[in-house]
Amino acid sequence: MTDRNVLRKDQLEISLVKEKELIKEGNLKDDNPLDLSEPFAELCSACRKGDLKVCQEKITEGVNINARDAYDYTPLILASLCGHYEVVRLLLESGALCERDTFQGERCLYNALNDRIRNLLLEYDYSKSTDPLQPLAAHLASLLTREQPVTSDIVVTAGDESLHLHKFVLAARSPYFRNKLAAAPESPSWKLPSTIPPQAFGIAIKYLYLGEAPRDLKSGPGTGFTESEVFEGIDRVAHHLEIDTLLDSIIDSGDRRLARQRRSTEIAKGRDQLETWFRANVLGNKLEVETSKANSVKWDRENAIFADILLQADELPEDAEPGSEPKSILFPCHRAMLLRSEFFNTMFSSMFREAYVKDHLHIVNVDCSPEVLEIVLTFLYTERADFPLDVAVDVLFASDMLFIEKLKTKAAVVISTLGSGNLSQSEAAKTRGTTEEEELDIYGIIRAAWMTRVQRLEEFAARYLAYRLEAHIDSPEFAELIEESASRIKARQETDSIELLDDIRFYLNERFRLRFDDAGLGEMMRNAAQQPHKAPPAGADADGTEKEVEKVTNGIDTIDLSKVAAPASQQDRDHHAPVIRTLDGEIAVDEFDKDAANYQILMAKLDAILEDLNLEA
Amino acid sequence: MAMRARQKIRAPRKGLASSKGDDFEANWQALSGSLKRIHTKDASDLSFEQLYRNAYNIIVTMRGHDLYERVKQLEREWLETEVRSWVNAAISPSLLFAQDALDIQDQANERRAAGERFLTVLRETWEDHQLSMGMITDVLMYMDRVVVADHRKPSIYVASMALFRDIVLRSPVRPDTKTTVADVLESTVLFLVQLERSGQIIERPLIRHCIYMLEGLYETITEEESSKLYLTSFEPAFLEASKTFYQKEGQRLVESADAATFCKVAMERITEEKERCASTLSTLSESKIKEVLDNELIKRNIAEVVNLEGTGVRNMLDQDRLDILRSVYVLSSRVDSKKAPLTAVVQKCIVDMGQEINTLATAPAPAPEPTGKKAVKEKEKPMNQQTTSAIKWVDDILALKKKFDAIWVDSFMSDQVMQSAITTSFSDFINSNPRSSEHLSLFFDENLKKGIKGKTDSEVDSLLDNGITLLRYIKDKDLFEAYYKKHLSRRLLMKRSASMDAERQMISKMKMEVGNQFTQRLESMFKDMTISEDLTSNYKDHIRKSASQDSKPVDLEINVLTSTMWPMEIMSNTRDEVQLSCVFPREVESVKQSFEQFYLSKHSGRKLSWQASMGTADIRATFQRPNGKTQRHELNVSTYAMIILLLFNDVAPGESLTFAEIQSRTRIPDHDLIRNLQSLAVAPKTRVLKKEPMSREVKPTDRFFFNHEFQSQFTKVRIGVVSGSANKVENNDQRKETEKKMNEERGASIEAAVVRIMKQRKTLPHSKLMSEVLGQLSSRFVPDVNMIKRRIESLIDREYLERVGEDPPTYGYIA
Repeated sequence: MTDRNVLRKDQLEISLVKEKELIKEGNLKDDNPLDLSEPFAELCSACRKGDLKVCQEKITEGVNINARDAYDYTPLILASLCGHYEVVRLLLESGALCERDTFQGERCLYNALNDRIRNLLLEYDYSKSTDPLQPLAAHLASLLTREQPVTSDIVVTAGDESLHLHKFVLAARSPYFRNKLAAAPESPSWKLPSTIPPQAFGIAIKYLYLGEAPRDLKSGPGTGFTESEVFEGIDRVAHHLEIDTLLDSIIDSGDRRLARQRRSTEIAKGRDQLETWFRANVLGNKLEVETSKANSVKWDRENAIFADILLQADELPEDAEPGSEPKSILFPCHRAMLLRSEFFNTMFSSMFREAYVKDHLHIVNVDCSPEVLEIVLTFLYTERADFPLDVAVDVLFASDMLFIEKLKTKAAVVISTLGSGNLSQSEAAKTRGTTEEEELDIYGIIRAAWMTRVQRLEEFAARYLAYRLEAHIDSPEFAELIEESASRIKARQETDSIELLDDIRFYLNERFRLRFDDAGLGEMMRNAAQQPHKAPPAGADADGTEKEVEKVTNGIDTIDLSKVAAPASQQDRDHHAPVIRTLDGEIAVDEFDKDAANYQILMAKLDAILEDLNLEA
Repeated sequence: MAMRARQKIRAPRKGLASSKGDDFEANWQALSGSLKRIHTKDASDLSFEQLYRNAYNIIVTMRGHDLYERVKQLEREWLETEVRSWVNAAISPSLLFAQDALDIQDQANERRAAGERFLTVLRETWEDHQLSMGMITDVLMYMDRVVVADHRKPSIYVASMALFRDIVLRSPVRPDTKTTVADVLESTVLFLVQLERSGQIIERPLIRHCIYMLEGLYETITEEESSKLYLTSFEPAFLEASKTFYQKEGQRLVESADAATFCKVAMERITEEKERCASTLSTLSESKIKEVLDNELIKRNIAEVVNLEGTGVRNMLDQDRLDILRSVYVLSSRVDSKKAPLTAVVQKCIVDMGQEINTLATAPAPAPEPTGKKAVKEKEKPMNQQTTSAIKWVDDILALKKKFDAIWVDSFMSDQVMQSAITTSFSDFINSNPRSSEHLSLFFDENLKKGIKGKTDSEVDSLLDNGITLLRYIKDKDLFEAYYKKHLSRRLLMKRSASMDAERQMISKMKMEVGNQFTQRLESMFKDMTISEDLTSNYKDHIRKSASQDSKPVDLEINVLTSTMWPMEIMSNTRDEVQLSCVFPREVESVKQSFEQFYLSKHSGRKLSWQASMGTADIRATFQRPNGKTQRHELNVSTYAMIILLLFNDVAPGESLTFAEIQSRTRIPDHDLIRNLQSLAVAPKTRVLKKEPMSREVKPTDRFFFNHEFQSQFTKVRIGVVSGSANKVENNDQRKETEKKMNEERGASIEAAVVRIMKQRKTLPHSKLMSEVLGQLSSRFVPDVNMIKRRIESLIDREYLERVGEDPPTYGYIA
């Protein structure tokens, strides 16, 4: 790693002091505010332990992942310090900041337990990562310039320019427009008083559409207005439209950091406004009808919530109350927002029925459950994607069908985090009983991963299987799965290795190796690995070994491995290699040997399966 | 409630479980029906969502690949059964067989109509295909994303375009021929282009759209830019056809032997082809067709056109046809950055015109110098004529220069190459006139004396500038300097300059043009003049202070000249012949001595030598009329004339002096004496003396009387000296003289240069020394190589240099 651009310590301290002053004066918002709340403490503790599930839950609950605890630790620092790669990745993906040349960012980096995590952190350096809300803002801003397909429903004329706008955006973002439009929802156009410079209005509108505040006011010669006139105009417009932060944004546009903070605040605010409006008007106006009658629903083009399309989702047969008519739910929506999905974009751009404008709104059937459609819509309107594990697979399929890549990733994240239990403590997971495993149809998941081409889920499933391989390895379903994976590859004719199997081997290695590494006994592991070869009978009886493993793990949870003990035991074992099985009292030594043996047994079994399949094939 | 129902995460609901076969067929049935409707433009009430769902369901059940193949098959069938037959039906026999029939008007018309019909159909089918495929691609979006990526297939759109290419364009038109639709398209478009070239109006947008099609189709499914059908098939044919067309056209135009027409047509063709690429064919071809035009039409013929007898560039230059010249230039510069044929003609033309001017100026060349006295009178005229012809020469050249400057700016677009060509030519012919330096100097002389009177500053300025431009061309600048110096000295001493400002301006212009060294001496001449003015007034003061003696002092206005700075030959008259200086009359002699005293008291150690030949004097003469009246005139005469006239003060009325007497008493050189006597006694208006016998020639035996009957209506009479006082063209002798002096001076310059160089380099091979000398001196003149050699020899003899090596010959400097 090139560390040449890292600030010297004194430089860092100076900038830190300056930053603190700024924060104290209230000029700058603290990136990492102190948070002593209970949920945050839980998040921190989960990050220490590497509990993916809890982390995901807390993040979904809305805990500020960039806050710090009483010791100035942020969750990201904790996770990277404790070496939980998956947690670090989850935090980064959820918007945790790791910016070089900041105090907290550098702490993350030098605290990172290993190079893998450090590299991950560097990858997510702030300059490259974006505000999670940025795509939404970009989409809204793009609506102003987008020509195809036409989605605007109001024309505002300012001077000789006319802006094609969207009533729902105006209503959601500006109380002024909300009232005005509530009074006359049908008005197709609106004329701006000539006293307001068109530039000022343009800037205000751009601001409403979450565009960036301009650096240049486009005034001066040729435009007919001086800078101060435009400025005054903006002031007036902002006051008029009740968007009080606009002027500040423009004034602050010189200071990059401040501008960035303001902007992310404004985008967050805009999102919240949109969300409020969305929940009240779109979700609030959804209607439930019997599927057979759905087509007879007529929504007028002119409606109070400015919807221009109805999306229909049929209730799943298994959800339906027995005996009653199947139900459908209709959501009144806005094409402008649906365009975020490539599916809808194509639908409205192409020359099929849906693209033509008629008096009554088209009803478009979307092939998923109402619950999932609601999640999809929420995401499209608000960028929020918080949903429970049980619909995650459905969301995955729906977002794959509708080409919403981000939601798809999100679904994959939900599945792989919430579904994971706690992988790094697989033993503990196992002891918690079998109920957890039943939560997840891992075979279904892996097939879904294949169908929707989500690499991350494939990896997740492989890891999941690797950590619970004992439970699956002998089932015919598992063999079938391996075969399927093999056939997938054959169709592609790339290579003769089986992807799933390779992945499982990798994670199996990780699972056992991790434990040895944790104990700092890598060398021992190598010795241990040779043992089974010397004594093949040791690995022959797999069932017996596993039972023992369980027994052992029951006992070991409470026992801490001390480094002093390890070399001693190693010596012991070297001298008394043949009598390991009989020495029940020497638990620590057994623990490692068991692991090594287990590893070898599982690997051998995988090979056996492979051999079988190859013979069959 | 849903939560409860699904405790365990379900396997994907779709596909997998359901019975595959039926679903696939059912979905495909629905889908294929709709796809056909899309092709038949009956899609407006099809639901995108439904079609998408059909395709999606098929793909989710892992039958994506089958779907892809089915769609391809459907497209293939559609193209084969429907589209191909439409297109083929639109091809009329006239398109198939009349391949080269441009000759008969009827056939051409028929073919054209058929062709346009065919193109219209083709364009429609293509556009329909594109449109439907666009919609189908939209519907099959999911398939493209999933199946295509998995199987590494081209997207369905690309695949269907390839099908269109193979099935529609690449299939034989009739079962029995090999001609394909693409062939027909190609020949039809070429035919229409041909029509347009021959001046007919064709439907451009139609062709453009068909070309769009060729641009949108590729040879390969990877769709590289270079594999566009347009580039692989149509363009080569188009270029080939254009090549033959322009070869023929070029030949025809050259044969018709009118350069102007050729240029006009060529220019038109250029814009025409450019426009054709923009609006009818493809902009991709623009540079290529330009190349064809350049090579076939222009490059092949331009030399011939330029040299065409009677209408070529020569003629254009003569007739000032700037517009056509410009075309010629534009055409030439397209194919050849050096524009060789054009420059050659222009240069030749300039040299020819220049030679004409040269001969015109030298035509009334002085007939072999008449030696006898008889010739004196006759010599007067040709001399004047020569001066005027010299000035005319300069004027003519300036006119020529102006003309070519205009041509250069207007027609040759201020092209650098052309400029240097023109400059070289001018320099060539100007230097081919051995008298160019003298002529030019005379031109300045004339203008500074008379020409600039009544002109505004800017006019004077441009006049001088023009002269300076010519100076630029002259190689032997030192010769010019010599002449200029001579002429200038006359102007200064005789006070003939019209404006001192103009003189100074001229000097500073020359300084800028040729350099400081060149004008140094000229400037010091001016300095002498100013110093002399001061001196004169100082002397007057001095006289006034010491004025005790005569009440009638002689006014003296004196010019003290530094002998090295002024032209030698002014003084030469007295130096050449070993002769005593002339005898001044008493009054004058005393003034002279008094001044010498005055001057030497100020500057000791200097030597003053008096140049009587250059001075003038004002004297008052009293004429006793026979009727007793006396008439006074103030005479302005040369110093010599004054001396002569003063002699007559001592001569009794009626007495006479012979030429020999005058000569012995004044010791004025023969030559000057003759001239002065001529002006006093022969020139009709200023006959202050009477001569016996009365003739033009002055013989030693002639007798001279004071002419009391002298008549003049003016009180002040100016009596100029016959010739010599005005600047005129030199006669041959004088020229030889000048050249001789020039050579001496050059020799000195060369030696100086050689010594300068050697002093710096210590040792230097011969060839290097030569080139350095040439380099140093080229701004002043072009030295003769032999002369340099001789000078080096002489320097070796004088032990400035020594030979230090033989191979290569090398010289060393002796310190």
